Amino acid sequence: MTAVSIKNLTVTYHKKPAVKGISLDIDEGAIIGIVGPNGAGKSTLIKAILGLLPADTGELKIFGIKNTDSLKRVSYIPQKEQFDWDFPIDVSEVVMMGRYPHISFFGRPSGRDYEIVNSMLDKVEMKNYAHTQIRNLSGGQQQRIFVARALAQESDLYFLDEPFVGVDAKTETAVFNLIKELKSQNKTILIVHHDLGKVREYFDKLILINQTLIAYGNTDDVFTPEIIQKTYGGRLTILQKVEQLMKD
Amino acid sequence: MEIFAKYFTEPLQYEFIQRALLASLMVGVSCGLIGTYIMLRRLSLIGDALAHAVLPGVVIGFMVAGKNPLTLFIGAMAAGLLTSILISFVERNSKIKEDTSIGIIFTGAFALGILLVSQLKQVHIDLSSYLFGDVLGVSDPDIILSSIITLFIVLSVILFYKQLLVTSFDPTLAHIIGISASLVHYFLMTLLSMSIVAGLQSVGVILIIAMLITPPATAFLLTDKLKKLLMLSCVLGVISSVLGLYLSYHFNFASGASIVLVSVFFFLLTLVFSPKEGLLIKKLKRNRNSRINLNEDIIKFINKEAAEINNSNVFEILSIRLGISESKIKSSVKELMRNGILTMTNGAFELTGKGKQEADRLVRSHRLWETYITQKQIEDREFIHEDAEKFEHILTDDIIEEIDEELGRPETDPHGSPIPKARKDN
Repeated sequence: MTAVSIKNLTVTYHKKPAVKGISLDIDEGAIIGIVGPNGAGKSTLIKAILGLLPADTGELKIFGIKNTDSLKRVSYIPQKEQFDWDFPIDVSEVVMMGRYPHISFFGRPSGRDYEIVNSMLDKVEMKNYAHTQIRNLSGGQQQRIFVARALAQESDLYFLDEPFVGVDAKTETAVFNLIKELKSQNKTILIVHHDLGKVREYFDKLILINQTLIAYGNTDDVFTPEIIQKTYGGRLTILQKVEQLMKD
Repeated sequence: MEIFAKYFTEPLQYEFIQRALLASLMVGVSCGLIGTYIMLRRLSLIGDALAHAVLPGVVIGFMVAGKNPLTLFIGAMAAGLLTSILISFVERNSKIKEDTSIGIIFTGAFALGILLVSQLKQVHIDLSSYLFGDVLGVSDPDIILSSIITLFIVLSVILFYKQLLVTSFDPTLAHIIGISASLVHYFLMTLLSMSIVAGLQSVGVILIIAMLITPPATAFLLTDKLKKLLMLSCVLGVISSVLGLYLSYHFNFASGASIVLVSVFFFLLTLVFSPKEGLLIKKLKRNRNSRINLNEDIIKFINKEAAEINNSNVFEILSIRLGISESKIKSSVKELMRNGILTMTNGAFELTGKGKQEADRLVRSHRLWETYITQKQIEDREFIHEDAEKFEHILTDDIIEEIDEELGRPETDPHGSPIPKARKDN
């Protein structure tokens, strides 16, 4: 089944086109990397799929249904900078938020919700920190609790935005093992990634973008020097500069 | 004691004081609850803006139905909500940022209110009691209105706990799980307008923002848990209101100012003396730690290099080596001598038996720690990369013992230097 279907997506962000005319279909049960240089629109692409940024043109579907009507099957781990780490909240409360879609509007968490939260904390080896305020965690630990929260949502489609930035090697391995476990349950995982070193090891498929879609396919087929050059090379940035000149 | 009791009971015989106390209680609770979310969502500016901007609503309510709490309430709510919508509208549809938008809209609304008041010659609105509060003039209908508002706010905070929490902490997650952050925002703005109405009588528009953010900010210095924060904010709000009211009664202070100053007093008190985050505790801890560190550095130094130093300039050498002023080093050395760790024989400093034990403990701690992080290849914690010298000062005997056991009681550290054995204290 198709997990995500994108047709002719264009998103402008702060009045500049961030992604242009992207079309692709992502099949479920795979780990897909989204790579490209800074400002290539990687995060914008994810945010548009999630309906967090409005699309100018294009049709977005998740599991065959309009994207915004299908979000309950989605987990999203944003970049860490987005949070107020002083917020009066502890680790278990953060993870419990992942259970909210399973709790009725006025309802309180049930015993089963607490069980799931505990077992997810166990999975990311953070059980001893259940009642720690989140400011007192290391970068890797902070990432782990958001992974635990995403798992607690029990969704079918996972988006991770630069999950390995500011994270120690041990956490990176642990998180990636959990991602592989999700894949074995036929879940789909999309990861915005900036480190080209581990691309072959991590991803089944690769989306290479620099505003437009440069290539999409099996990692072995598209992760070639020519395509990487095309994605990161100077050609598009020169075009961008000229475009800017035209505007001025 | 009796005088003290009288201080509190004597005013209670008056009905207007009883009403004022009730009103204060409700302001404390409603502002404490809503203010917590206002603070956490960084909406203090909007809170202040709404407080001012309800004026035209109140005046129009007045024009329609005279001094009827219900129409005043509806007018204030409508003005508050409209203002918050206008503020977001300007921000979203132009490049004007939120703080500027707030400044424009709320002063505009406030000015409109003043203009309306000045045109209302035939109707008398006491602008000053509206601006500065007059808790002693609270009427029975005011009390009924405040009670309903407070009850509504308490219920909302309990029932919508999940929605308020997730939209405050992570609006993105809220969007994904189908909770509309903007709906919750405007709901909160409605509750905010309500709590402002409830507080108008006692503190007035100019100062109400203090009741909204000062008690929560004080509570935030005392706890890291949201539920405790909400409750503590209410308690602090109520105590400030009641104490402020008594001060206002006994000393004839303006009630609003008196209530606000009490709550600011609590805030400053907490800022300095809070057991967890207080400036005083932090300062004392820092001083204590740096004194212990210095003492330990001196012990290490004397242990290692005493033989090589010419004692006439020992303080100078220590001062240069450790980068600490000579006077501090002298006072540390005095302390060490007093505690029987250092002694002076023939004009030279020496460690006593107890001092040598202490030096061994420090070396042991340093070398065991180095062995531990090398063997276990721990590098996933940022603090590990701190200077290893720092750790010997902070590791407790229990942790050292645990490390020693886990490493299988090694004889030498990674550099091959011997690790001193633990000494059993008797």
